[in-house]
Amino acid sequence: MRESSGSAAAYHLGRHLPFALSLAGGLALWELVGRESSPAFLVPFSTTMERLWELLVGGTLVAETLDSAGLFATGFLLSVVVGIAAGLVLARVQVLRVALEPYIMILYATPMVALIPFILSLMGFGFIPKVLVVFLFGVFPVLYNTVEGARSIKPEMLEVARSFRSGERALWRDVMLPYTLPFAMTGIRLAIGRCLVGMVAAEFFLSSNGLGQLIMSASQNFDTGGLFAAITVICLIGVGLMRLGFALESRFAHWRK
Amino acid sequence: MSSAETNAAARIRVRGLAKRYGAFEVFRDVAFDVGQREVVTIVGASGCGKTTLLRCLDGLLPADGGEIWIDAQRLAAPIAGVAMVFQHFGLFPWKTVYDNVAYGLRMAGASREEIGRRVPHFIALVGLAGFEQAYPYQMSGGMQQRCGLARALAIDPAVLLMDEPFAAVDAQTREILQFELLRIWEGKPTSMIFVTHSIEEAVLMGDRVFVLKGRPSRVAETIAIDLPRPRTRATLRLPRFAELRERVWSTLMSEARQAEFQLSGG
Ligand SMILES: Nc1ncnc2c1ncn2[C@@H]1O[C@H](COP(=O)(O)OP(=O)(O)O)[C@@H](O)[C@H]1O
Ligand SMILES: [Mg+2]
Repeated sequence: MRESSGSAAAYHLGRHLPFALSLAGGLALWELVGRESSPAFLVPFSTTMERLWELLVGGTLVAETLDSAGLFATGFLLSVVVGIAAGLVLARVQVLRVALEPYIMILYATPMVALIPFILSLMGFGFIPKVLVVFLFGVFPVLYNTVEGARSIKPEMLEVARSFRSGERALWRDVMLPYTLPFAMTGIRLAIGRCLVGMVAAEFFLSSNGLGQLIMSASQNFDTGGLFAAITVICLIGVGLMRLGFALESRFAHWRK
Repeated sequence: MSSAETNAAARIRVRGLAKRYGAFEVFRDVAFDVGQREVVTIVGASGCGKTTLLRCLDGLLPADGGEIWIDAQRLAAPIAGVAMVFQHFGLFPWKTVYDNVAYGLRMAGASREEIGRRVPHFIALVGLAGFEQAYPYQMSGGMQQRCGLARALAIDPAVLLMDEPFAAVDAQTREILQFELLRIWEGKPTSMIFVTHSIEEAVLMGDRVFVLKGRPSRVAETIAIDLPRPRTRATLRLPRFAELRERVWSTLMSEARQAEFQLSGG
């Protein structure tokens, strides 16, 4: 018993050791280079952590993070709901799909940052234009993957449903939606990353608060420690959300081999 | 069963059925009856229209001429009481065995209580007890088709349509499934149309074998299979079984040979 748990520990050590070593090495490199650099553009890891602690204790970081989280959540959920709903409709109604496909392709390919000045001049500052930016960053991957997914359903599946006399509503609930969900999940995973970019970009241009503004003001005040502290937080949030996205995707796609 | 009896008790009546895909005529003038407790097997070369015929009989595909009657109902769309078992199994990969078997019942509007009672019964009947929570991708082809069979049987169909149900499983499993299906059918005989390209399977399962032939195809021969029921492994060793198999074989081959001559001539 003891021996097997010992070998399990060894196994985990072997699995995670390279990662732990490379992370420690990276942070050490940051520390060393940071100490040799001018604090105007790089501070070491330790200084960043000190500043992070100050911001955390002072309450600024929590407030700005919550502000950003509210923006992210609103824009992201909106892009998921609209992307899936519109995607299913487009998959089912061919005329609409053919008519709108060029716009979708163009908007999916356009770097959304390019639209921010336009949104600014149209709607000014405030919560709604920021949400719009986050939404625009996230909606197209969801929409696109949902349409492609729903369209790839095999005619045999639909025939089975017809053979068992499924009505239209049951067809959606039992066949179309569960079939399409894993594809939509791939879009949602992509949308998580893009909405995070959208969030920071919106806060750069359209905001007086949030993590994006924390970065902007720290940089303007030559608070390099604060700058890296904010970047670190965004980085951690991004990694966490990505993992959540992969977990969600595999939860709904386990049957898809 | 004499043919007079068969007609008196006909559950399925097909008259002058014709089907085209565009300019391509699949079959024409297909007419037959199937009794209430009769198994008709259909054999024919690949591409001769067996699946198309079954899809018409299930109401999935409109015919271009003729009529299909199930009891007193003229078929125009899928109706209750007719269930299909698909060659490609047709299971929903995101549903467990339990939910796949429950699917037909739910679509038929069965009560929760009825579903809870019938689903376990039919899962056990096809030998899948213990696999209720398994997903199709976790099971062999043979087990998947057991599930497809349970889903069809669960709605208590008066007519079972089987489209080469065992063609996609390995030979051993296929033999096991044939005898299990015979056992299940003996327990509750219904009208069954069983499409296969295996001559042995056609003779083993059927009360009559229809040979689908020609271009466009039609029911060119009907061969009565007067083997005793219940059919078991011992049936395969009867001299009569070998005779009937030879008859179906030579009927099918006469066309295959013609087709070959036409090919080499053209
Ligand atoms: N949807 C379709 N459109 C056009 N041709 C079809 C279609 N389905 C089947 N066919 C053609 O009709 C013929 C009969 O097909 P099928 O009924 O599947 O034959 P079988 O089941 O006997 O192998 C084949 O030549 C096939 O290519
Ligand atoms: Mg076929």
